[in-house]
Amino acid sequence: MNEISLHNVVPNVFSQRHDLHSDIWGREVALRRGGIYLVEAASGTGKSSLCSFIIGQRRDYVGSISFDGRDVRTLSTTEWSTLRQRHLSILFQELRLFPELTAWENVQLKNQLTHFRPDAVVAQWFDVLGIADKRDSLVGMMSFGQQQRVAFVRALLQPFDFLLIDEPISHLDDDNAQRMSQLILDEARSRGAAVVATSIGKHLPLPYQQTFSL
Amino acid sequence: MTLIWKLLRRHVSLPQLGGFFLANLLGLCIVMTSVQAYHDILPAFSGEDGFLPNTYVILSKRVSATSALGGHTASFTEAEIADLARQPFARRVGRFTSSRYKVFASIAMGERSVGTDMFFESVPDDFVDADLAGWHFEAGATEIPIILPRSYLAIYNFGFAESQSLPKLSEGVVAMVRLDVTLRGRDMQQQLRGRVVGFSNRLNTILVPEDFMRWSNATLASGAEQGPTRLIVEVANPADDAIPAYVQAHGYETGGNDLDAGRATYMLKIASGVVVAVGLLISGLSFFVLMLSIYLLVEKNSAKLHNLLLIGYTPSRVSLPYQALTVGINLAVLVLAVVLLYVVRGRYMELLWQMFPQMSEGPTSPALAFGASLFVLVSAFNILAIRHKINVINRPQ
Repeated sequence: MNEISLHNVVPNVFSQRHDLHSDIWGREVALRRGGIYLVEAASGTGKSSLCSFIIGQRRDYVGSISFDGRDVRTLSTTEWSTLRQRHLSILFQELRLFPELTAWENVQLKNQLTHFRPDAVVAQWFDVLGIADKRDSLVGMMSFGQQQRVAFVRALLQPFDFLLIDEPISHLDDDNAQRMSQLILDEARSRGAAVVATSIGKHLPLPYQQTFSL
Repeated sequence: MTLIWKLLRRHVSLPQLGGFFLANLLGLCIVMTSVQAYHDILPAFSGEDGFLPNTYVILSKRVSATSALGGHTASFTEAEIADLARQPFARRVGRFTSSRYKVFASIAMGERSVGTDMFFESVPDDFVDADLAGWHFEAGATEIPIILPRSYLAIYNFGFAESQSLPKLSEGVVAMVRLDVTLRGRDMQQQLRGRVVGFSNRLNTILVPEDFMRWSNATLASGAEQGPTRLIVEVANPADDAIPAYVQAHGYETGGNDLDAGRATYMLKIASGVVVAVGLLISGLSFFVLMLSIYLLVEKNSAKLHNLLLIGYTPSRVSLPYQALTVGINLAVLVLAVVLLYVVRGRYMELLWQMFPQMSEGPTSPALAFGASLFVLVSAFNILAIRHKINVINRPQ
């Protein structure tokens, strides 16, 4: 997948508002493979909605979203599964981890599906992100910042053309944010992929090519 | 798979699944055992060693007061005979032909002579259950072969002869008796000799060869030929309940208890049908218990299922654990039901053998096929319903 384009997309909840000043809602927006984008937003401006629309989780918007010119509303269940396995990865703001599984099992759940990286590489990422000692801890027992890093590793364990990261460093210290940024850059570059990060203030330190204000 | 199962087995309710297991086992056992019992007991009504090996049914039209007074004919029309011959239960249909002239027969017994007016009937030769050597007649011959019902001899020996102090007659002696037969018709008279060549259990009439009947009716009969008033039908299976149904529907009558096997089969079918229906009802209800249990399980785990779908799992892959669970339970139920079927069957066959030692076991394939079909049907429905439920979860808001 080379391009995600938004054509006059407005969430249904905003459709009656005429004072919408946004670089994304109601505009023509194109996100291209290889680019690094930042979506800045205040709370309640629909940042997570944007991610949900792109990932196919929600459809409560007007306008259209296309992947390489194909309207996402026409994608079949199988096509969505393939997209989520091979082309589009997301770090959810709410993480969507499984608290009854350990950190390691949570990432294995994804790696068993994609067979993308050997265990040694995954262990190394755990190490870099400072959660190696939490490997066998239940995710439900971990802090939000630690859980964020587990979810991040899981998001990397698949091929992708676009990586959506929704408020990735809300609970991270600068040191960990720096390490996460480096990992994102390495992985995105090795795949020629685009990174779309959202933020409500604290940005992930990345060389953004374009910044949208939501 | 193991990680997914670890996630999705949460909220699996053992009491609910156990309840389904027992209820479904009960239902399937009842269904399979009744189908099996039906096939085991059915041969007792039919076949060579059945209660009623009679494969011939003699049909006549019911004579009622109105039909007798109204001059309605009791003979079968060609259309009725053709319709009967078309029925799946009928192998062959033969007609009784009656003599349409006067017959007087007498036996000389020393100085006394016993005589009576009587009649002859004939049926096609291949319906005759006696030795057919000498069972023919040619025009100009002076001797008529006759077959008598065996019951007549019994009536004479044990009824008439006993009370009249007459000698009892064996079949061999009767065959030597000289019968003087006088035929009268069209102002003609023919004097012939009758000889009893055999006795029949099947045909309750005074039987002569068809050759003779044709010749004598052609020579002596007056008036137009009428259709036969009695028919003899060879049936494929005397226990076929279609026979009494057909006879009843057309207002025909049969001799004796010719149709008892058919009626018994009909009762057996009704009884088995009711039991199968009860079994199916229990199976159906247990199926609903299972579906509700699984729906509840999916509902409780819907957030997890949704997350799995969002990280790239396909609906078919997340459906698989639940589908495998239900199919596994169904299969276990089927296997256990088959085992129980053989145990129960062993018991009731012992009882049946005490009463009918010669009885053979029926095939197990219908009951097994029935159970297997039910398994396939229920499992297929489970698989589709679970998949549907997961698809609902997967649907974007």
